[in-house]
Amino acid sequence: MSEERKKILEMLAEGKINVEEAEKLLSALSEDTGTFPEDSGKNPRYLRIMIEPGPESKNQDRVNVRVPLKLIRAGLKLASFIPGDAQTKVNEALHEKGIEADFSDIKPQNLDELVSQLNDLTVNIESKETVRIFCE
Amino acid sequence: MMPLTMKISIRKNTGKAFSLWIPLFIIWLAAIPVVILLSPLVLLVSLILWPTGKGKVILYFFPALFRLIWYMSGLNIDIQTKSSTFYLNLL
Repeated sequence: MSEERKKILEMLAEGKINVEEAEKLLSALSEDTGTFPEDSGKNPRYLRIMIEPGPESKNQDRVNVRVPLKLIRAGLKLASFIPGDAQTKVNEALHEKGIEADFSDIKPQNLDELVSQLNDLTVNIESKETVRIFCE
Repeated sequence: MMPLTMKISIRKNTGKAFSLWIPLFIIWLAAIPVVILLSPLVLLVSLILWPTGKGKVILYFFPALFRLIWYMSGLNIDIQTKSSTFYLNLL
């Protein structure tokens, strides 16, 4: 993401500009750069999850996972075949862990949109461990 | 593309190590006749169970499973803990 786009989104988040103004600015920016706001020109294929211990961390575990985005899409489609009662049990188990998600709400027509939105996902958490989640 | 090989490696800090390279393409080649033989049976079962609603699930489950296997290529898992290391890679 370019600095200009980031700045526009920050201004939108802070309420300095409204959604329409942000859209206009992003459109103008995309005309300058020759790309659409939604399409940054790259086409990520993998979701990468990296966990590395920090200098103060007692836990020295390292995790490096690379999952193809198409595999996530296929997995979600396969998950739609889980019977209703089993889905209820899964949702209950997730609820017990504090995760409020209902996978039965995920419809096949929403899957492509869901996975495509992962393209812009970047999570960077630095505490005792450094957690990075991004698409590449 | 379908994964053609799989590498699994587990190493313990005690020195014990287990490493396995599996040529998946041989398994896929062996699976082709089984799939061809079983497909009419699956179709028949799905047709019989269609009024109950389970027939549609059976019919669409196997293509979804095939799609899942197909896109597994590129999956890479590398976990290192104090006591052991686990590595899985599908190519």
